[in-house]
Amino acid sequence: MVWIAGANGTGSSASITLSSIPQTFTHLQLRGIVRSAGVSSQIYTRLNNDGASNYATHYMYGDGTGVSAGVGGAPTTVNFFGSMPASTDTANAYGSFIIDLLDYTNVNKYKTTRNTYGFDLNGSGQVWFSSSVWMNTAAVTSMTFLANTSFTTATRVDLYGITSSQVTGA
Amino acid sequence: MQPIYTQTVGSGGAASITFNSIPQDFTDLQLVASSRIGSASGNYGVRFNADATNSYSWTYITANGAGASSGRLGSASLTELVVGQINGTDTTANTFSSSNIYIPNYTGSNYKQVISDAVRENNATAGVQIMDASLWLKTTAISSLTIRPYAGNGTFVQHSTFTLYGITKG
Repeated sequence: MVWIAGANGTGSSASITLSSIPQTFTHLQLRGIVRSAGVSSQIYTRLNNDGASNYATHYMYGDGTGVSAGVGGAPTTVNFFGSMPASTDTANAYGSFIIDLLDYTNVNKYKTTRNTYGFDLNGSGQVWFSSSVWMNTAAVTSMTFLANTSFTTATRVDLYGITSSQVTGA
Repeated sequence: MQPIYTQTVGSGGAASITFNSIPQDFTDLQLVASSRIGSASGNYGVRFNADATNSYSWTYITANGAGASSGRLGSASLTELVVGQINGTDTTANTFSSSNIYIPNYTGSNYKQVISDAVRENNATAGVQIMDASLWLKTTAISSLTIRPYAGNGTFVQHSTFTLYGITKG
């Protein structure tokens, strides 16, 4: 697993973009921590800056009192994978996520992401396990993280590339 | 995390994928799969060392866009490990499932505990997320692994990919 790129929030923007993703890996993994500079907000990703209704997303969710499931949209304009803590929530607490995107250069496949996300605030918390398909076969060259409010400056997103060996007769 | 083998399904499809002669010098194994079958969606079935006896058990939590549930099956019912998810013809075209199957301590002398997380996306209400804990009730080191649609119900379509990784401590 090789680190490719990373970025922080600015405190005044609700968007973080990682662009010019190398096409030389097999899979991508994104890891990060997020927190809102304002009110709590849902968080999303978009691939190749496509804002059309080309995504479907589903989730499993728990908050310490129950578990539920739902459709984030089918179709919708974003990959929804959770909501981030607000500036008024427990200080220094961030949501944490891992997003796996397999075969991101394979032009025969729509692109499915597998998202694990959650946070605990010492009194409340959320756990999300979700997925999304971007209904486009294009290779992924950029990924944008979005919210309805600005990300804090300590919000951090890092992108890793994962290689695979060649086909063998194993 | 080092790639050991990758297998990509060709134009003729494949009923199963086998990784033989798995090196014994890693600590853990991780199988990453992006697949689709030419029949109805389902789970993977995995056999270690070609063991087709009643030596597997399975516990899971899952969601399907409408609700969440948990269940289990014991070894009296299973002759293969049940893990993950596979997209089928009842889901959006060109959409491949995303599964991560983690096999810790695969050369150890304990029973082999396997955990996995997987998603099967779909541009409709029904999209599946699942987390599994599965047990192979054998103390033998794992030297081969066969993965197929559970109970042989289907054939992997072209462009399905399976990569086995080795993970070393230290």
